[in-house]
Amino acid sequence: MSSAQPLLAARGVGRRFGQTTALEPVELEVREGDGVALAGPNGAGKSTLLALLAGALETSVGRIERRKGVKVGWAPQRPAQYGRLSARENLELFARLESEPDPEEAAARLLAEFDLPTKRSPSANLSVGNRQRLNLAIAFLGKPDVLLLDEPTAALDPEQRRRLWERVGALREAGGALVLATQNLEEIERHASHVAALRDGRVVFSGPADEYDRTQADTLFA
Amino acid sequence: MNRAFLVLRKDALVLIRSPLLLTILLAYPVAIAALLVLVASYGSSKPRVALVDEDNLPETVVIGGHRFHVDRTIGEVSKNVDLVRLSPDDADRQLRDGKIVAAVTVPPGFVATLKGMVQSPKLEVELSRGTISSRVNQQVQALVYSLNRQLQRAYIGSNLKYVDLILKGGNGVILGRQFNVLGLERSQKLLERMPQTPEVRGLEDFIQDARLGLADTGGAMRAVAHPIEISYTHSRGRTQVLSAQVQAYTLAVTITFLTLMFAAGSLAAERDENVIGRLARGLVGLGQLVWAKVVLAAGLALVLGLAIALAFGVVIEVGNVTGGEPWARLPLLVLGLVLAGGSLGALGALIGALTREARTASLVALLVVMPIVFLGLIPSEIVPPAGWASAALPFTHAYQFFSAALWELHPWDEVVRQAAWLIALGAVFGGLARLGARRLLA
Repeated sequence: MSSAQPLLAARGVGRRFGQTTALEPVELEVREGDGVALAGPNGAGKSTLLALLAGALETSVGRIERRKGVKVGWAPQRPAQYGRLSARENLELFARLESEPDPEEAAARLLAEFDLPTKRSPSANLSVGNRQRLNLAIAFLGKPDVLLLDEPTAALDPEQRRRLWERVGALREAGGALVLATQNLEEIERHASHVAALRDGRVVFSGPADEYDRTQADTLFA
Repeated sequence: MNRAFLVLRKDALVLIRSPLLLTILLAYPVAIAALLVLVASYGSSKPRVALVDEDNLPETVVIGGHRFHVDRTIGEVSKNVDLVRLSPDDADRQLRDGKIVAAVTVPPGFVATLKGMVQSPKLEVELSRGTISSRVNQQVQALVYSLNRQLQRAYIGSNLKYVDLILKGGNGVILGRQFNVLGLERSQKLLERMPQTPEVRGLEDFIQDARLGLADTGGAMRAVAHPIEISYTHSRGRTQVLSAQVQAYTLAVTITFLTLMFAAGSLAAERDENVIGRLARGLVGLGQLVWAKVVLAAGLALVLGLAIALAFGVVIEVGNVTGGEPWARLPLLVLGLVLAGGSLGALGALIGALTREARTASLVALLVVMPIVFLGLIPSEIVPPAGWASAALPFTHAYQFFSAALWELHPWDEVVRQAAWLIALGAVFGGLARLGARRLLA
């Protein structure tokens, strides 16, 4: 397979929910080392596009292309984990589902890396921040090449944000990529190489991050 | 490790960690099943019947020389009905309101006609309208039959006293007049002491024949009154509560509740927990997810069903009652529980897929369970459309499987037929649930 083929691509991908169009057909390519920021106000279609890229939603039109062998990690905006299971049990379960060779070791490693509680208490009892950390930790299972993170830092304290960006940076340096849904201009400036700005389900800007300035952001959120 | 199995193991763990939910899921259907058994047994309970006394029945009535205590007699003959004394107006109102199912009126002059023993007095019976009127009619007929039997006994006893008087002689009373009868025995002895002329010998022969003939009068009168008698024996078989039919219903109702609610709730919960997207993106297919719920429902049905079957079996052993095959048929029951649980679990998964939210799914499953169960309880011979609808749902086939497995001497034909139904329905509902599960991603 040629390296010219993107790791992940959306080819005219759109999504309707009944009569409502959540996302008009979108073109997007994600390549090695990319940091793609999906910017836009609430309801713009960022989460829908991320879920489509993750394969968590079926497309209404178009198709998602994933380079053979590429693994994708996804952390949706609302934590996706089993509330009755502990953080460790959630990680072990998803590690097995992600075919991690040593699920217990992977779970233990991510518990430590994300500073998650090791107690057997249900994850539903965790703080909002810890639930989000668990949500992100699950996305790192299976050694993903592309990370799809939906508003990942909203509930994280500064130290956890720093650790998260370190891990994401390491992944990109290793040839991986990041697709990030965010409304935070600072995050876009620091961690994105490319921006796709959406509004009302349409891409209204697509280009290098350095061309996406505050004026455009202000126009987007106006 | 199979991914569906991983989800299955997770669900089992979640269930174990929810003791309150587990207790409710187990206790509720058992309670419902017990209530249904009680309701079903109401079908053989006593209907409430009014006794309207327009003849001012006395405490005692003497008929044919036999004294009847009216209340005691009414109590003896009304074992199959709950007989309540009401005024004519009350009886009329309660009959209209459905509080009583029939009114039996003793018209004026009833006792006088009865005492006269010339004409048959008439009881007036008014029945409620409705589906049970035929049954009530039978109960009232049974009541009058019992009363007639009491009177027949009295009449026969009274008549036999006169026969005895003719045979043995002595004092008697007819219509208030006392008299003395010589009797055939004493007549024969008198004749023996008389000179044995041909006329006297002729009389002796006649008396001898008459004595022999009258000696059989009692049996003949009883035979005329009751040409056919019923002989009752009480068997040592299962009581109604323990009968295989009740056991089959209890099992079917219990696992229907449990599996429908659990499969519906647990599939929809995958969306509630926001995990469905994670699973569906290649980790666990929607088909595998539905399959996991079906297998879990089958497992739950097996555990709960076996527990109920064991409880029945133990009670039967402790009670030392015979009938049915509680232990020998257990392996067959295991097969039925798994198939029924799986088929019902597939229907529950369909409900979960369509409703998309755990609480809604559980509520809808609860609402759906009752019609399914009641459809299965209506005899298809009486309401054919109910039978057709019921045939398209797993409950009836589960019941018929359990009934055959526990009751039939040669259950194989029925078991194979119902197993095929359960598998087919499970496949249809499972397939629909798989299609519907796409809605969980929306």
